[in-house]
Formats: sequence, structure tokens, C-alpha cells
Amino acid sequence: MKYEKLWSFSGNGKLWAFAGKKTLKLISLLIAVCLVSFWLVEQSPIDPVRAYIGEMSITPEHKAQLEEYWGVNMPPQEKFLNWAGNIAQGDFGTSLIYRIPVTSVIGEKFTASLILMMTSWLISGILGFILGIIAGMKRGTWIDKIIKTYCYMLAATPTFWLALVLLMVFSVYLGWFPIGLSVPIGVISGNVTFLDWLHHLILPALTLSLIGVAQIAMFTREKLTEVLSSDYVLFAKARGEKGLNLVLRHGIRNVALPAVTLQFLGFSELFGGAVLVEQVFSYPGIGQAAVAAGLRSDVPLLLGIVLVSAVFVFCGNTIADIIYEFVDPRIKQEADS
Amino acid sequence: MISAAALTLGSTPRDADELIVAAAGTYAEPEEGFDPLHGWGCGHMDYEPLIQSTLFKSADNGSIINDLATNYSVSSDGLTWTVNIRNDVKFTDGVPLTAKDVAFTYNTAVGSNSELDMSNLENATAVNNTTVKFKLKEPQSSFIWRLRYVGIVPEHAYQKETYGQQPIGSGPYKLVQWNKGQQAILELNENYYGKKPYFKKITLLFLDKDASFAAAKSGKVDVAGLENSYANQSIDGYNLVALPSSSANGVSFPMQYDTGKKSLSGEPVGNNVTADIAIRKALNVGINRTALVEGVLYGKGDVEYTGVDQRSFGNPKAKVNDSNIEGAKKMLENAGWKDSDGDGIREKNGTKAEFKLYYNSEDQTRQALSMAISEQAKQMGIKIDLIGANWDEIYAKQYSSAVLYQYSSADTFSLYMQYHSKEADSGYNNPGLYNSSVVDGYLEKALRSTDQSQATEYWKLAAYDGKTGYGPAGDATWLWLTTKDYLYMVNKTIDIGTPQNNTGKDILGNIYEWKRINENKTS
Repeated sequence: MKYEKLWSFSGNGKLWAFAGKKTLKLISLLIAVCLVSFWLVEQSPIDPVRAYIGEMSITPEHKAQLEEYWGVNMPPQEKFLNWAGNIAQGDFGTSLIYRIPVTSVIGEKFTASLILMMTSWLISGILGFILGIIAGMKRGTWIDKIIKTYCYMLAATPTFWLALVLLMVFSVYLGWFPIGLSVPIGVISGNVTFLDWLHHLILPALTLSLIGVAQIAMFTREKLTEVLSSDYVLFAKARGEKGLNLVLRHGIRNVALPAVTLQFLGFSELFGGAVLVEQVFSYPGIGQAAVAAGLRSDVPLLLGIVLVSAVFVFCGNTIADIIYEFVDPRIKQEADS
Repeated sequence: MISAAALTLGSTPRDADELIVAAAGTYAEPEEGFDPLHGWGCGHMDYEPLIQSTLFKSADNGSIINDLATNYSVSSDGLTWTVNIRNDVKFTDGVPLTAKDVAFTYNTAVGSNSELDMSNLENATAVNNTTVKFKLKEPQSSFIWRLRYVGIVPEHAYQKETYGQQPIGSGPYKLVQWNKGQQAILELNENYYGKKPYFKKITLLFLDKDASFAAAKSGKVDVAGLENSYANQSIDGYNLVALPSSSANGVSFPMQYDTGKKSLSGEPVGNNVTADIAIRKALNVGINRTALVEGVLYGKGDVEYTGVDQRSFGNPKAKVNDSNIEGAKKMLENAGWKDSDGDGIREKNGTKAEFKLYYNSEDQTRQALSMAISEQAKQMGIKIDLIGANWDEIYAKQYSSAVLYQYSSADTFSLYMQYHSKEADSGYNNPGLYNSSVVDGYLEKALRSTDQSQATEYWKLAAYDGKTGYGPAGDATWLWLTTKDYLYMVNKTIDIGTPQNNTGKDILGNIYEWKRINENKTS
């Protein structure tokens, strides 16, 4: 009884309950995700030895040796339990392709992807929000129509196609931006400046941002329209407030938080988009590593990437949940009702 | 304003003696690092590991010449190879390279689980500082190729987990920076013992072929590897260079009749159409290979009859005259393949002259080649059904259907693997399950020979000895079609010297001869 009271009445208790629930969820999610990805790799008809050596002729002895290395003849349950046992001890194993620890591979690739994803996440969030506000304010005017059309078009544009178009126009024809990579060609790290680095980031980040804008802009637009037709805005209008001032004072405050929440929920899409953009811009990231691991049955690496990306998306969702639960419970009420 | 700022940033100024190469698929990124024992340069094509040096090198005519080695001898039983090496070579960290390093390299390669096949090497031992002995399990003349492409690593500085990231070698270049997934920057090894290249710095860009082309178009690279379908493209300021290679495309034929037998992996074996020598011979004689080179390869390649036409161990007598549709038809008629029901396809004892041909659907060149030969075969009354598939499906079907393969090995051992009956159904080799005791005999003799020129003679006899052989004049086990060139866009300011014959995939093989002319033109 006493405990129940604590749970329900103390804010601190609620926080703990929330954290406990989330941790349990994360653990079960990770286990499920690992099992499914492992099962999928096992089911794939890809012969890792063939994938490794290509069309080269090899002796049966050599083939047997490589099969042992790739664990071809090891029973799947043994392979999985080995892996899971090591993970429990914090050992992610060694990547079969890269031949270095999985944690090093992920560390390198994920950092690069993270910078790209976070930059575009911020830009698309801010840009989308501003566009949404403008469209909402000027609802029904030509500005609104332009923004709406732009959003619909973007929502229907494949990421890699947009990336290719931008690459062709800005890098190949105009020559304003590099043709890819995250560092300048042939320059020793010590001589790479922050500007160089930024210069390489702009085009891939822009591609991801442009695509990400649509959802947040449309959402903000809808939300703002709703707010602007509410009683308290009517009341404010009656008091003589109008125009930008009105929107700033009553609109943005009420729209911002739901928009931020939505933006955090977009972590998963961000991930998918980044994989394609990395491919087009030869940007070294986690996406390329994941594709290689899948196509060549590098089980330790693939499962490592799956774990990390699941945690990443989970974090985004959790932040959104925290906003629901603690920062602005109104959102939850709205969703529940 | 923005564009101006971007422009100054965008044009990376480079010195005349800096070279930027984007040659995907040739100097592709070694994911495992620049470690010869894990794949760097040790594939059968990549001859020049740049960072390390090898015991032997290839001369322009494809023969073997000394690099680190000063000479070698093979014991009369073929089991012991003794190689003497130079005494004036140092690794880039200043430590001399001795026979101990060579022995260490090969002994470590045995258990490296990499592309390097060292399963026939018992061990290597350093007799003294400049002599190393290799003990083989079985005599193997093709072992020379193992000595040809393995870069020598230093025993004192080799650790399997870290060497690939910071390699120390004795080659013409040293690795100064590796941006994984993007580029490797190499600088000249000032203490290199051989002829020093002109270029002091090479940047290898790891871009896919489309991106390489874009990079050349925007003037950012000196050399860009191209897809063969780009053969009719041009870029201002660049020359299109086509380098002959040993990448031969050919169709493998199931050689056995379908008796309901299954392979070790449970796949169907045999094909009643391709098992008939008349069908295989007719295709070899009737197909117009020159048309394939012109039509599919845009003229950037050569006709191919045995898969190794261009090599020193290729046998010109094994070739046949082709584009002879009338001759092909006559062969088919004589063998009893006649079109009696008038549907344009011949039959024999109720079997239609029809078979499936698998090709890798990701490769446009193979698809185009498959379509072209299927069209040509139609005129002879043979129906070829094309199936584009992925490799795993193809390998499952290779014992019962024809497959369009590409073999690019310069190593004689691949001949043994491709045609010896012992290798049938043993793994990935001899897809047609060819079984000829005569050819087996030649292959054995060639492989067990202790003398390279004698071995070459036997490799040739295996293709055709006047009566039989794997080549089209003999059993016509394959329908070899073309050898494709490797295409590069090379900046006009670069003089690439005379590239070695048939090593088109290894454009940097003769980097010693490269230089930049017209230096003031670079930006």
C-alpha cells in the first residue's frame, strides 16, 4: 500500500518507474532485434566464402579453412550463444571483414554518420518549423500553397535521387562542392581545416535536411492553424493582438513542444536516409558498413550495428516519451483522448 | 559570394608530382587494411602492393623477373624451392629486410584465413640472411605465382590486428594516412632500393565507378577507372585509356549427361544438350566473337578462344575459326540435330537443342554478352534461354546449366582447378564437371614440373595436343567469348609509360615509368 502511494504520488517515484519500464523495454527490444537479425542472416542463401573470394578458383583445403573462419559449418544456435555470451561480457567480437574489433569499426563509422545525421536533423527541424509557421500564418495564401507543394513533392522524392541531382548540379557542373567524401582529397589530417570539413558536410547534410523538412513543416502548419482558431487566440485577437506578435506570443509556444517531440520520433527515418546519402556521396558511415556486413555474412559486425542503431532509435523515442510524460503531459492527454 | 568562397575551397591545389587515382575495383579499398597477409595486393590480379615489395615481379611479356629475389632454384623432386634475396633492402623503419622476414611472411600467410591460398606450403625457413627455403607438400610449378604477389612484411613489426592500419614495408611507397572508406595517402619511400617513381605522393580514392567518373568530370582526379559501358564517353582534358587484361568471359558447359545424379550439395547434375560435343563445337565455330567485341565491348577488348589466349601458357593451336554459321549447321546436321517440326529449333531423339544460360544480373556486360550469343545461336537452330540471377542461385545451377563466367587469373594453377577431374564438384571449380584422363595427365605434369618452361608446354598441351584438350579444337568444354579491356580516364598531363601486357586491372603496376608532362597545365 505504502509503495503504491509512493509510485503514484511522488514525482520521483514516477520517474523511477518510467526509467525501469524503459530499461526493461530496451533490453527485450535488443534481444528480439538480435534474434531476428541473426535468424535472417542464417536464412540468407549467401555463401560467405564465395562472397569473399569472388570468382577465384581455390583448393578444397583452402575452402575448408575459410569456411571454418566464417563459421559456415557451425550450428546456428552455437554461433548465436557464443556471440551472446561474449556480448554479456562486453566483447562484441572481431569483424570478419575488417578483421579488427567490432567496437572499433562501429566507433569509426558511427561517429561519421552521427555528425551527418545530427546536423541535418537540426537543420531540417529548424527549417521545417519555420516553414510550417509561415504556412500556418498565411494559410490559404500563395506562400502557403508554395510551401505545401514543396513539402508534398519532397515527401515523394527518393533520398538517393535528390542526392544524385544535387551532386550532379553542385559538384560536377558548378564545382562548388566536393564530389563526396568527408575529407579533402590528398590532404594530411593535420592540414584539414574546420572549413574543409564543413565544406564536405554541407551537400550530404543538405540532402538529408531537405527531405526531412516536409513532415515537420506540415505538422507545424496543422498545429498552428488549430491553435490560431482556438478560444484563447480569439480572445487575444479581441484584445487587439495581431500578426506576427500574436503568433509569436501564443502560437509558437504552443506548437514548439509537439514539433520537437515529433522531431525526436524521426530518428529512425534519419537513419534510413543517411544510409542512402552516404552511398551517393561516398561518405564513410555506418550505412555502408551495415550493407557490407549483411551481404558478406559478417555476423558479429552486423549484430553490433543492429544493437547500436536500435539503441539510437530507442533514445529518440525515449526522449519523445519523456517530453510526453514529464515536460508537457498535455500531449499525452491529447493522444489518449 | 558563397560560390566564390566555395570555389577557392573546392579546388585542391596539387603539385605536379602528386597523383590522384580513383580506380574502383582495381585499387579498391582493402577493408582488412594494407596487410598482404589479409588481402592487400595478394588477389591474383593486384600485382603491385606499392607499400610492400615482392620476391618477384612480372616483365612486360608476362614472364617472371626478380624483385627482392636475386635467383631461385627448385629441387629435382619439386618439393623444395630455394630463393636468394638482395642484401641491401631496408624496411621504412630502417631495419634491414632479411630471409627471416620472408620466411615469417609465408609461414604467417599459411594460417591467415585470407584470399591467399598457402595450403600447399609446408613451411618456409631462413637458411641465412639472404637465403630462404620453401618446403611444399606436393610439387607445384604454379607456386611461383605465390612468390609473385605476396608483399613481404617485417617480422619485428608485424601484429595481425594492427599491421594493416600502419603497415611497414619495403615498397616504393609508404602509407601516411588512411581515411577509412575514403582514401589512402601514400608518400614516396626515399630509401627504396629500386627505380624510384616520379610521383612523390599518391592518393588512392575509394569511390565507386560512377563517382570516379563524376570525379574525373569535375577534374578532381588524375586517373579514374570506368565501367565498360562508359567506353564511348569523353571528358575534356582526359584521354580514354584501354588496357588489355586477362579478364576473359566465357560460357561453361555441363559436360555430363543428365542421369538423375546429384552433386555433393544435392544439386542436379548434367545436361543432355550441352553434353553433346556437336552442340559445343557448333557454338564455338558458329559464334561471331568479333561482333561481340564490337557490339558489346565497344571495341575495347579482344576475341577469346581458350580463356588464356593472351598468356604465355595459352595454346594458339587450341583455337578454331569462328563466325562460320554454315559450318556449325553442318556439324549439327551430321550429329543428328535436325529441325524436323519446323519451329526453328533442332531436335535429336526427341530432345530439343535448348538449354539455360545463367549470368550475373548485376553485370551489364555479361547480360549484353549473353543476349548477343543467344541471338546468334538462334540462327544455328539452338535456343539459349537466358536467366539473370544472383551468384548463390548461379552456383546451385552450374552443374546442370550453362553459366557465363569471368575468369581473370594469370596464375596457371587456375587451369588445373578449372579442368582437372579431381576438382569436379569439390567446391567452386570445374563447373562443367569435365573429366578427361588425357587432360588430367597434362595438368598433373604441368603442375608437378620443376621447370617453368617445361610446365608451360604441358599447360599448352592440356588445351590441345593435336587430338584432344579442353580448348575448342578439342573437347570444347567452354565457349570462351571475349577478353575485356580495363578502361581509365587519364588526365592528359600524365604519361603512363608502357603498361605491362594483360595486367589491365593493375594500372599502377608500372608506376615507376609514370610522370607528369606539361606541368604548367595542372591546377
